[in-house]
Amino acid sequence: MRFENIGRHLILISLAALFSIPLLVLFSGSLKSKEQLTRDPYSLVSDEVHFSNYHDAVAAMPFWQYTLNSLTLCIGCVIGTTLSCALIAFSLSKIRWPGRTVLWWTVIIALLLPWHVTMIPRFLIISKLGLYNTLWAIILPTFLGEAFFIFLLRQFFISIPDELFEAAQIDGMSFWQMFSRIAVPLSIPAMATVALFKFIEVWNDFGSPLLYLNDPQKFPLAYGLERFVSSYADQTHLLLAAAVLFTLPIIILFFLAQKTFVQGISTSGIKG
Amino acid sequence: MTERRQKFANLGPGLCFASPWVVGFVLLIVFPFLASLYWSFCQYDMVNPPRLVGTENYQRLFRELKTGEGFGKAVFNTAYFAVFSVPLSIALGLILAKFLSWKIRGQAIYRTIFFLPSIIPVVAASILWIWLLDPQDGMINYLLSFIGLGQQNWLNQSREAISVDNVKQIGQSIQTGGPLRVFGSKDGLVLISLWGVGNWIVIYLAALRDVPHHLYEAADIEGLGGLRKFWHITIPMLSPVIFFNLVMGLIKSVQTFTSIYIISEGTGAPNESLLVISLHLFVSAFSDLDMGYASAIAWLMFLGLAICTVLLFRTSRYWVHYRAGSV
Repeated sequence: MRFENIGRHLILISLAALFSIPLLVLFSGSLKSKEQLTRDPYSLVSDEVHFSNYHDAVAAMPFWQYTLNSLTLCIGCVIGTTLSCALIAFSLSKIRWPGRTVLWWTVIIALLLPWHVTMIPRFLIISKLGLYNTLWAIILPTFLGEAFFIFLLRQFFISIPDELFEAAQIDGMSFWQMFSRIAVPLSIPAMATVALFKFIEVWNDFGSPLLYLNDPQKFPLAYGLERFVSSYADQTHLLLAAAVLFTLPIIILFFLAQKTFVQGISTSGIKG
Repeated sequence: MTERRQKFANLGPGLCFASPWVVGFVLLIVFPFLASLYWSFCQYDMVNPPRLVGTENYQRLFRELKTGEGFGKAVFNTAYFAVFSVPLSIALGLILAKFLSWKIRGQAIYRTIFFLPSIIPVVAASILWIWLLDPQDGMINYLLSFIGLGQQNWLNQSREAISVDNVKQIGQSIQTGGPLRVFGSKDGLVLISLWGVGNWIVIYLAALRDVPHHLYEAADIEGLGGLRKFWHITIPMLSPVIFFNLVMGLIKSVQTFTSIYIISEGTGAPNESLLVISLHLFVSAFSDLDMGYASAIAWLMFLGLAICTVLLFRTSRYWVHYRAGSV
C-alpha cells in the first residue's frame, strides 16, 4: 500500500513538473535581464532579480490606460450579462407563459451556433448604430443576454422549489418582487459564477477589440499586449513581464474563488 | 374560458422579463444569420450595396477546395489541428483525471497544478509559447535535445508531423544521420492546446466521482487488473462525458482563432501553414473586404460542423452507454 502510493506520487510529480514548467519559466524569465535571458534562459533561480522589467514593461506601453479600459469593459459586461441573463432565466423557469418553450429552444439554438456565421452582420449592425470604435460596441450587446449564461442560470433557478413562489403569489407579491426578493438572493452563488466567468472572458477577450476598436486609447490589455508583441519582438524579457502582469489578476481571482471555478465548470461542462 | 385567460395571464410579465433576449435573438442571431446567408450569394465590400452574383462565391470555394489553395488550405489546416488536438486532449485528460482521482496526500495541490494552465489568458499563453517553441533557444527544443530531437522548427516551418512527405524526410535523415526534424507549426499548436487540458480534467473528475463503486469491487473479486478496470469500467461509464467533450472539443478546435492570430501575426504564416478557416474568414472579410466570399466561408463552415456533429451523434449509439435514469 505504501509503496503503491510512492509510485503514484512519482508519476504525479513528474507529470506536474512537465505541466508547471512553462509557467515557472515565465515567472523566472520575467525577472531576468535581457543578457541573462539569452545566456541562461531556463534556470528557475538566478543570481540577480530584475523587478525593473515590470517597471519597464509598464512604461513601454500605455499600460494603465489599457488596464482601465479592460476594467471598464469587464465591469460593464459583467453587469450587463448577470442582469439580463438573470431576468431572462427567471422568465424561462419561474413564470408560466405561452411561448416559454419556444424561447427556451432559441437559447439552445444560439448556444450551438458558431460565432463566425453572425460575425460580419453583427459588425455591420454595431457600425450602423455608431458604436464602432467605442467600448459600448462590446458592452451593450451583453445587456441582451447570452445563451450560455442564460442556460446556466436557468438550470439553477429550476432547482429552487416552486412552492416558495406559489406562497409568494398568495401573499400578493408581483413577479418583480419574487425575482428580486426570492430568486436573486437564493442564487447568489450561481450569479457569482456567471460574473466570474464573464469577467475572465472579457479580460481575456481578444477577438472583440480586434473587430470593434481601432483607437489605441481605447484598447484593453489583451489587445494592447498583442500590439506590444509585434513591436517588441526582440525584448523577450519585457514581453514576459507584461504577460505576467496581464495574467496575475486572473491567477489571484482563481485562488480566491477556486470552488466557484471548479463547480461552474463541472456543472456547465464548458467555460466560455 | 377562465383557463384560457389564466394561461395568458402571465404572458405580459413573462415576455417582459424575457424581452432582452427576444430583442437580442432577433437582432444579433436571426438577422445576422439570414443576412450572412444572403450575402454569401452576393458580391459585397461594405461600402457599395451588395450585388447578387448567384453561387459564384461557393463555386470559388469548391474550386479552392480542389486545388488546395486558400480555402482548401484552410480546411486542411483546421482538420489537421482538430484531428490531433481533440483525441489527444480527450486521452490525456482522461488519464490525468484518473491519476488525480487517486486518494493520496496533496491531491488538491496536484489538481491545481494541472488546472492552472487552462486559465492562463490566451494572449499571455501565446506570448509564452512563442518563446518556448523558438527553434534556437526555446525551452521545448532544449528539453527534446536530451533525446536527440532538439532541432524542431516548431512555429517556423510548414511541416506536418503526420504526413507522407515528412515520413520520407525523416527516413532520409535517419539514413544520412542529419538532424531529425519532425514537428511543424500545427504540431506546436496541438502541443499548446494539450497544455490547457485542465478544463477537461475537471469535467472528467466530476464524472469519475459518479461511477458506482460496486462495479470496481466486483472487478476486484473477478481479479481484474487496474488497466482492464480502466478499459472495461471507467471508459464505458464515462462515455457520455467523453462524447460531450468530443463534440464540444471539435466545435472549439475548429473555431480556434486568438492563439493562431497572435502566433502567425494575423497572416497564417509560416507559408500559410497556420491559415485555419476562422483566420481565412477574418482576413477575407476585414482585410480583403470580400464580405460575400467570407459569408460563404462562414456558411460552409457552419454546415460542415453541423454535419460532423450529426455524424458523431449517429456513431454515439454504438459506443456511448447511458445509464438508466440519467441523460
